Amino acid sequence: MSTPVSDFDLVSDGSTLDNSPEPPKTGTLTISDEVTRPDGSHQLVLNMGPQHPSTHGVLRVILGLDGEVITDCDPVIGYLHRGVEKIGEQHRYAQVVTWTDRTDYVAAPMNNLGCIMAIEKLCDVTAPERAQYWRVIMSELARIASHLVWLGTHALDIGALSMSLYCFRERELILDMFEIFCGARLTTNMMEIGGFSRPIPELLPSMVRDFCKVFPDRQQEYVDLLDANPIWQARTKGVGIISPEAAVSYALTGACLRGSGVNYDIRKAMPYLVYDRLDFEVPIGVHGDVFDRYLVRMEEMRQTLRIIEQCLDAVENDDRPLMAYESNYVMPPHKGTMTTAEDMQRHFIWVIKGFSPPVGEAYFAVEHPKGENGYYFVSDGTPLPYRWRVRSPDFVNLSVLPHMAQGAMLADVVALIGTIDIVLGSVDR
Amino acid sequence: MGLIDDRFDKNVFTTSLDFLFNWGRRSSLWWLQFGLACCAIEMIAASMARFDLAERFGMLYRASPRQADLMIVAGTVTKKMAPVVRQLYDQMPEPKWVISMGSCANVGGPFDSYAVVQGVDQVVPVDIYVPGCPPTPEALYYGVLELQNKVIKYQTMAKKQGAAAAEADRIASRAEAMAAVRG
Amino acid sequence: MSEGNLPQTVETDQTPVATEPVDPWARENYFDPDVERHPAVRVIRETFPGAILDIVRFRDETTIHIRPELLLEICTLLRGHEQVGMDVLTDITAVDMLRLRQAPRFDVVALLYSLRNRVRLRLKAGIDEGQPVPSLVPLWNGANWLERETYDMFGIVFEGHPNLRRILLADDWDEGFPLRKDYPLRGWKEFPVYNTERTVGRVRTRWTGRGV
Repeated sequence: MSTPVSDFDLVSDGSTLDNSPEPPKTGTLTISDEVTRPDGSHQLVLNMGPQHPSTHGVLRVILGLDGEVITDCDPVIGYLHRGVEKIGEQHRYAQVVTWTDRTDYVAAPMNNLGCIMAIEKLCDVTAPERAQYWRVIMSELARIASHLVWLGTHALDIGALSMSLYCFRERELILDMFEIFCGARLTTNMMEIGGFSRPIPELLPSMVRDFCKVFPDRQQEYVDLLDANPIWQARTKGVGIISPEAAVSYALTGACLRGSGVNYDIRKAMPYLVYDRLDFEVPIGVHGDVFDRYLVRMEEMRQTLRIIEQCLDAVENDDRPLMAYESNYVMPPHKGTMTTAEDMQRHFIWVIKGFSPPVGEAYFAVEHPKGENGYYFVSDGTPLPYRWRVRSPDFVNLSVLPHMAQGAMLADVVALIGTIDIVLGSVDR
Repeated sequence: MGLIDDRFDKNVFTTSLDFLFNWGRRSSLWWLQFGLACCAIEMIAASMARFDLAERFGMLYRASPRQADLMIVAGTVTKKMAPVVRQLYDQMPEPKWVISMGSCANVGGPFDSYAVVQGVDQVVPVDIYVPGCPPTPEALYYGVLELQNKVIKYQTMAKKQGAAAAEADRIASRAEAMAAVRG
Repeated sequence: MSEGNLPQTVETDQTPVATEPVDPWARENYFDPDVERHPAVRVIRETFPGAILDIVRFRDETTIHIRPELLLEICTLLRGHEQVGMDVLTDITAVDMLRLRQAPRFDVVALLYSLRNRVRLRLKAGIDEGQPVPSLVPLWNGANWLERETYDMFGIVFEGHPNLRRILLADDWDEGFPLRKDYPLRGWKEFPVYNTERTVGRVRTRWTGRGV
């Protein structure tokens, strides 16, 4: 073993084979045979997952069945727990945003937005108005992208196989826009403290406009396929009913809460960015079943298009600054870094040393497609956050699964998992 | 017989029957639907309408490992998940290949923490590593095509087992690749 | 031209403008610079006089540090109160204050939200290691998984929780509680490599610094 010469120490033990042939037994429960309970009923314990085509990731559900009816339901999560909160404590504030892409990876810009706005709240920085409009546009596009993945996989699980093809076709249009904007399709990391440091690509406004023209017809295709379909209705109506009191008690947010009739949307209740100037409606469901949550999310997609069009009208031909004025907390402009030594030095020092926000704590929540996505920073005045907490909506929403599954049939479990709209990266972090 | 021998005498097949089997294998790789994290979304996008991994290459995703001969490990492998990955790999029948997709499966990715296995090759033997975070569907294509090149060389009749043979094979394929690069 | 020649065009109303909202439960009170006007603070002080240890106001957020044994009672009071009505539990988590103060070690954080007033409130309860906290599961079912996660990451025991076991880490994880400050980022134990066909030697980096 070599002695460490620096913080980075490469250790190679030189062995070619490692001798641990037995995989460690972690968290494996045995599937028991059919069990006869004292009252004479039979219970079969069925293990669903963690590798299962319909669990949207590595979710494991242990079901106790009495015939086809579910008597017990125990979701086991944590198969994708990567410890991002602890990792965030070892990286600077601007780097912490990188891990937010990977928590909810189908709507990465929305996660980035939440994290950035929490840091901005901590530092008391406000982005200029043009940047706020573009933030709204990109995060609302992320909302549509997330709902498309939800619809595609939810319908795929229930049996409408072609829905996934249609939804991913539209999603590719949105990913093209993300790629033009920031270079990456999925893990975008596109928001920065204070706005955007690089100009908006010229092609982008027209691409967004074209998308807004094309999408309503495409959405009508989904509606034609599903809304009046008797199979879809039989599998979703009356399934997974959550009463409003139960929804509030289980701390649900997002479409799960609004599908049950409770009107709580952060964009209306505590508006951030430019949402208080935009004209849009928030759909509220009535019955609280799977079908209502489906209708709520479909309507959210239509309202999102309204939002995007209003924002585009405001900033399509705009050349105001996109980044807040350089300060202790806002990155120096990129413009001179390639040509001027002083600009390059300033930029380098800001990025490498990191900035130290004021001592305190801040919580900021955005209306994520899945619910309330909140970021809680505790700052001790150093460039690294003392504590970083991700309040992910799926983690809390998933706890309602046993409540919904009680008394449901086995085939409904897939519909219930799909209707909560989980992404395991966000559940497990 | 003579026709085939003349055309493919640069390759390392033992028999032309091998070639037939391997051609069948590489043209209809059925992969185990095993998406763990973000790379799973790109894997799904790769098999959807725009990139169409499934129809173009004869690949199809199967939910059961018993019916799959390719496992694309797409996403982060955590310590809680590792025994499951190993169990699924063991359940797959021979011949089987593993593509490690994305930097999390290659080396643990951006997550160097207490809960993450730093690379799925600590759990299962990997044939192809596809870098990216996540790799675009085109990158996954490249990985799949490289795997097809590897499959076509799979020797059924004289399959060598064991670490020494795997090491020899690795050295041989690396030497071949370097020779191709140096021209 | 002197200022005195300017005509008086402004007609001022002589009645003094009231500086405080008439309704003590109005939403503006939650953001008033005088924290004693905060309706939740008033309500807690009326019912549990010695419960509040500190009140912090930062940006537009209010954090009330309370005694941990009264956490459930205070939340019940705030949730059931007609005007304050903190009926939504947003989050339960904890912060390990090991590097910031001597005692108590952990701060259990409960974030509440009021649907009718549209305001948030953060309650913090400071506990030592090994000291249990009353569980909020009797009030909100959503506290179930949130408290399990806090237990999993910090080792904080919630009394009255029906099912306190690990949720994110494996059931038989015996290496401790990761989010504590004295737990290394990469964990204590190495992962046993059980791929017997692996031919490349393991290269392990060791990052000893806290971060650049």
